[in-house]
Amino acid sequence: MDDRLERYAELVVRVGANVQPGQEVFILAAVEHHDLARALTRQAYRAGASYVHVVYGDAHAKRARIELGPDEALGYSPEWVKELVRSSSGNAMIATTGDPQPDLLADLDGERVGRDVQREIWEIRLQQLSDNSVNWVGVGAPSEGWAKQVFGEPDVERLWEKVAFCMRLDEPDPVEAWREHLARLAERTERLNELRPDALRYRGPGTDLTVGLLPNVRWMSGASETPTGISYVANMPTEEVFTSPDATRTEGTIRMTLPLPLSGQIIRGLELTFEGGRAVGVEAETGADLVRGHFETIENADRLGEVALVTKESRVGQSGTVFYDALYDENATCHIAYGAGLPFLVDGEPGEGFNVANMHVDFMVGGPELEIDAVLKDGTAVPLIRNEEWQLA
Amino acid sequence: MSVNGNRLDRYAELAVRVGANVQPGQQVFVHPMVEHAELGRALVRQAYKAGASYVHVVYRDDHVRHAMIGLGPDSALTYSPSWAKRLMLSEAGNASLGTTGRPEPELLADLDGERVGRAIQLELAEISQQQHRDSSVNWCGVGAPNEGWAKQVLGEPDVERLWELVSFCMRLDEPDPVEAWREHMARLDARAESLTALRPDAIRYRGPGTDLTVGLLPTARWGSARFRTNGGIDYVANMPTEEIFTTPDSRRAEGTIRSSLPLVLNGQIIRGLQLTFEDGRIVGVDAEQGADLVRSQIDTVENADRLGELALVTNESRVGQSGTLFFDTLFDENATCHIAYGMGLPYSFDGQLDERSNVCNVHVDFMVGGPELEVDAVLPDGSEVPLIREEEWQLAT
Repeated sequence: MDDRLERYAELVVRVGANVQPGQEVFILAAVEHHDLARALTRQAYRAGASYVHVVYGDAHAKRARIELGPDEALGYSPEWVKELVRSSSGNAMIATTGDPQPDLLADLDGERVGRDVQREIWEIRLQQLSDNSVNWVGVGAPSEGWAKQVFGEPDVERLWEKVAFCMRLDEPDPVEAWREHLARLAERTERLNELRPDALRYRGPGTDLTVGLLPNVRWMSGASETPTGISYVANMPTEEVFTSPDATRTEGTIRMTLPLPLSGQIIRGLELTFEGGRAVGVEAETGADLVRGHFETIENADRLGEVALVTKESRVGQSGTVFYDALYDENATCHIAYGAGLPFLVDGEPGEGFNVANMHVDFMVGGPELEIDAVLKDGTAVPLIRNEEWQLA
Repeated sequence: MSVNGNRLDRYAELAVRVGANVQPGQQVFVHPMVEHAELGRALVRQAYKAGASYVHVVYRDDHVRHAMIGLGPDSALTYSPSWAKRLMLSEAGNASLGTTGRPEPELLADLDGERVGRAIQLELAEISQQQHRDSSVNWCGVGAPNEGWAKQVLGEPDVERLWELVSFCMRLDEPDPVEAWREHMARLDARAESLTALRPDAIRYRGPGTDLTVGLLPTARWGSARFRTNGGIDYVANMPTEEIFTTPDSRRAEGTIRSSLPLVLNGQIIRGLQLTFEDGRIVGVDAEQGADLVRSQIDTVENADRLGELALVTNESRVGQSGTLFFDTLFDENATCHIAYGMGLPYSFDGQLDERSNVCNVHVDFMVGGPELEVDAVLPDGSEVPLIREEEWQLAT
């Protein structure tokens, strides 16, 4: 049995989802990720899982649906899938990422691709995120297709080495390394929650954007905790400190700095212009139609849901690799998401400014030239990031 | 598109159009194993082309099952998740396609046979049986060639050769496979009708190591794998299929029968199975290999020790003609005559389900046919009418 695969799966089960004895575990994986899904299943039972559900997704079935299926098939949420997602409440979930067929949907009608979003399933997931009722984690699953996307050749072994580096599997004691890492991110989070900025200002090439922040929405990083007290790390790797902004106060223009694979297409050079909180301009070198499709068909997709800060201590950033995968690339550098705000960040009732939408799409905006300031209530600007380094003491 | 891609799509089309006979507007549920993804995807495409309103793909994974049986708690063995029950219930009124051909036939062989035998999702099995009784799903099972299966069958992972054999059994070599299937099913249905009209009281098997008499019910009907749903959709549940079959009187089986081909069961291979019956119940289980697994099923699953099916196959069988042992029940049960212990088949009766038909949560077919097996119909007056000699059909149709 592949030792690295088992150690990876063990780290994911113990530190990421932090599966508790007696919990059921839901593993959601692309069918091409079956080697990892099987290792996760073994490790979950070893951690004391009472039952492990493995549900494989298949992008080829999605392709057939978009290409050959009737209109009503697009976005349909089957009852059994809703029941599946509902049953994960109070239990653990592990989802894999790393698209094995990144260009699979590229030749399809972008508008139909954009419409094929299972909204009812999303709503259940968002409610669970809001209740924090699932100890879950998303992790990468190296595959030939993903390796080809990253390196131009299907060198899965090389991708595994990169992934193992980003996951701190090279450390003598990865579990301890993760504990230290999460503590460092937690310190930054505390400082921002003390500072309570009224807005963030982004300046850089093609970018001058101000994003308002809400007084009752916290900054957060790394570890989360369920109401029953299970600590978990929802993304592995994770290098970010993030919050959800005031979706009514976004002004200016921001340019993406890394490509983004989305629904089987690649978005490059995305540039969004905001007025009064809403995206009024969408430009891109590739994939603009898909993003416009989201903005036109999904309510409030045209407002921001997340701002996240990442510095150059990031293992993903240090790897010098574009992974073409949001889980990894969003941890390489600073990013922003359009669509849903993250409900678990809200203290009390979410106000008017907190965005509610049935999707959430992260895109990367960081780089050596990006400057980010915290703008305080009195208008003073406090530098947060310069040269990809953290500025706040 | 490559020639092979074309074969894959024609194969999937046959399974969708003739097998499940997917109707426009139906939802379709495809259940491939992980290693059958290529065929699974072709079935999805063909189902949408046939007018499916939505195609669900639900992959099965024997490695996940292996981990559950090997590492999971006892409670996991028989657990039926609520979403899986919802999934199965959603199939009523819709179409379903399953695939067989295990990529690692002996994967579960290193596990405790008793735990393997107990690992049955009981509530799901009950829903499935209810759907069979209601005839509410037009479904079809087909083979999915893969390296592991090819290695098992041919001694080497020659997937192309296995595809050729499977295509032959599926009549894909015919100029018009759909028409060839229509003629084939008409021939089987004619046999079934003449045997039903004969109204035998019992079937007697004689051959090497075998002398078994199995009682039949007065309401018993012989049929082929061509069925009709309660919504009037005709479908062929197994492709290939070469058998006509019925459900026996589960209280009347006397004697001994020996299996003539190996059987893959729960990831293990059963060889040389010999079952002895008294008053309808199995009282002796012997085998060269795998006897424990069969005994465990018989001990732990209620009524697994009674018969649920008798099936007759002759030498016109394409599977038999292929001269190949497929190590897969879907194929091998169509090579030759077989018998099943466990669940009776709800559609083998005129009118209501007969209470003497066996109710059970498993159904395991094993092969008993061969050139030396003689099968007779025993009539109520005790006279015997030959049905099969030297694998040839004897009764006029």
